[in-house]
Amino acid sequence: MAALPQLVVSTLLLGGIYALIAVGLTLIFGIMRVVNFAHGEFLMLGMYLAFWAFALWHLDPYVVLVIALPVFFAVGLLSYWLVMQGVIKASHNVQIFTTVGLSIALQNAALVLWTGDYRFVRPWHASEVVRLGGAALNLSQIVAFAVAVAFTGGLMAFMKFTQAGRVMRATAEDREAATLMGIDTERVYRLAWTIGIVCVGVAGVLLSPVYTVYPQAGLQFVLLAYVVVVLGGLGDMRGALFGSLIVAAVETVGAYTLGIAWKEVLYFVLFILVLVFRPAGLFGQRGAETLGM
Amino acid sequence: MRRHAGAIVLFGLAAVAPLATRDAYFLDTIVLILMWGAISSAWNVAGGYAGQVSLGHAAFFGIGAYSAAVLTVHWSLSPWIGLGLGMALSVVAGLVIGYLSNRLRGPYFVLATIAFAQVLLIAASRWREMTMGSEGIPVPFKQGFWTLGLASKVSWLYLTLAFALVLYLVQVYLEVSRMGYQLAGVREDEDAAQALGIPGRRLKVIAIAMSAALTSAGGTFWAQYVGFVDPFYVFSIDLSVLFALNAIIGGAGTALGPFLGSILITSLEHYLRATLSDIAPGLIGVHLIIYGCLLIVMVRFVPQGLIGALGALFIRRARTARGERLART
Repeated sequence: MAALPQLVVSTLLLGGIYALIAVGLTLIFGIMRVVNFAHGEFLMLGMYLAFWAFALWHLDPYVVLVIALPVFFAVGLLSYWLVMQGVIKASHNVQIFTTVGLSIALQNAALVLWTGDYRFVRPWHASEVVRLGGAALNLSQIVAFAVAVAFTGGLMAFMKFTQAGRVMRATAEDREAATLMGIDTERVYRLAWTIGIVCVGVAGVLLSPVYTVYPQAGLQFVLLAYVVVVLGGLGDMRGALFGSLIVAAVETVGAYTLGIAWKEVLYFVLFILVLVFRPAGLFGQRGAETLGM
Repeated sequence: MRRHAGAIVLFGLAAVAPLATRDAYFLDTIVLILMWGAISSAWNVAGGYAGQVSLGHAAFFGIGAYSAAVLTVHWSLSPWIGLGLGMALSVVAGLVIGYLSNRLRGPYFVLATIAFAQVLLIAASRWREMTMGSEGIPVPFKQGFWTLGLASKVSWLYLTLAFALVLYLVQVYLEVSRMGYQLAGVREDEDAAQALGIPGRRLKVIAIAMSAALTSAGGTFWAQYVGFVDPFYVFSIDLSVLFALNAIIGGAGTALGPFLGSILITSLEHYLRATLSDIAPGLIGVHLIIYGCLLIVMVRFVPQGLIGALGALFIRRARTARGERLART
C-alpha cells in the first residue's frame, strides 16, 4: 500500500478539475434542462486559447486565465444568441441535436483553422516536480486544482448568496412559478449558459499545461463530465462535486489495478449501472429521468 | 402507388445509373448514398418510428463490421455467416440496452446509448487477440458472391440497392401495420398509449432490437465494401451522429427521409472532399462544419426534415392551384 498516498492525492487533483468541467454542465442542465453536447468543444477552445497565447506571446496559462474570463463570457453570450435562444422552448430532441450540431461545427472549425496536430503548452511549472507526503506531482496540476476548487467554490457561493443566484435557483426549481414571480427567465437562461461556458473555458486553460491540445481533446473530458453529472444527479451542483471525486477515484484506482488501457471501461460501466438503477443520481430525486427532466 | 412515387424514382434512377456511366467515382458515390441511407433507415426504426433517439448506433454498426471481419480472418468463414452472427449479437445487445434503458427518456436515454458505444469502442481497441486492437482489421478480399468479394462497383451497387429496398419496405411496414400505429402512439404520448393497453415498453425494446440488427447488417456490408475495420471509426460517436443526421435532415419517422438525407449529405461530402482537397489538404473538415450548421438550422426551422418541407410545399401549391380553379369558376 505504498502507493496509497499517490492514489489519494491523484484522486483529489483529478477530482478538482473534473468538478470545474462538470459544474458548468450541471448548471446549464439544472436551469435550462438542456444537456450541452458541445461542452467539450468549449473546453477545447479554452485549451487552444492558452496554446496560442503561449505560442504567440509567450503568455503563461495563468495569465491567460484573466483574459479567458471576458473572452469566454463573450463566447458564451454569442453562442447563446446565435444558437440556443431559439430552441429554449423546443423539444428535447431539437435541443439535443442543436448542441450536437454546435459540437460538430466547433470541432471541425478548429480542425480546419488549426489542423489536427497535437500541440503542447509547456511553461516552466509543467516540469516542476513537487513532493507531497510521499506523492510526486507537478506544479501545474496543483495550481490547476487550487484554481478549479476556488472557482467552483466561488460559483456555489454565488448561487447561494447573491440575488442572481437565488433567481437562478428559483427558476431551476419551478419555471412557471418563477415567471409568475416576475423573474425574466430568458435572462436567467442566458446567464446560466454563459456562466457554464466560462467555467468550462477556464477549465480548458487550466488543463492546457497538463494535457495535449487537439481538436477532439474535449471529447474524453466531456464523456467523463457526463458520468460525473449523472452520478451526482443532473442539475445538482453539490452532487457534481461528489461525482467528480468518485469518478476520479475510480479512474486512479482502476489505472493502478487494471492498467491504463482498461480504466475507461470501469467508469462507463459504472455510468450505465447508475443510469439503470439510480438515473436521478446517487443523491437525486427519484423519478426525474422518466419525465426526461 | 402515388405515395411511393418518390422512392420508385430514386431507386429506379440508382438501378439504371450503371447503364449511363461506368465512372468508378460516380458509382462509388451512389453505393455509399444507398448504404448510408439504408443504415440511417435502420436508425430511423428506433429513432424515428419509436422515438428512441440514440447516439450510440455505431455500437451495432461496429458489431456487424467486426463479426464478419473476425470470422473471415480467424476462421475463414463467409461474411454472410458473419452477417448473421452480427445481427444475432446486435439483437441481444439491443434487447439488453433497450431493456436496461427502458425507463429513461430524453437526454438520459441518449447518454446511456453513448456510453454503451464507448464501452464497445474500448473493448474492440484493447482486445488485441480477437480484434487486432487499435490498428484495426484489414478484411481479406476473395473474389465471389459467397465471400462478398465483389470486384465491380456495379455488383456492389445492386447489392446495396437490394439492401436499401429491404430497409425501405421495413419502414413502410412500420407505417401501415398495427405495430407501426402502436409505436407512433408510444412515441407521441407513452403514458396515454400505456393507458390504452398498448405494451409500450415491450414495443420500444422490440423496435430497438430490430433497428440494431438492421444497423449491424449495414456494418457488415460497409466493412466488406471498404475492406478495413478501424475501431475508432466504426464505434465512433461521429458515426452515430451521421446516422441520426441523415434521418433528421431527410425527415425522421418517414420511409424516404433517411435516403433523401443521405443523398444530400453523402454527395455533399464527396463533392467537397474532392474539390477542397485539391485546394489544400487542411480544408478536409469543411464539409463537417457545414453538417454541424445545417443540423442546427434544420432542427430549428424545419424539424420535420426535407420530406416535411417538400410535403408542405406541395400541399400549399395544390391548395393554391385548387383555389385558383375555384376562383375561376
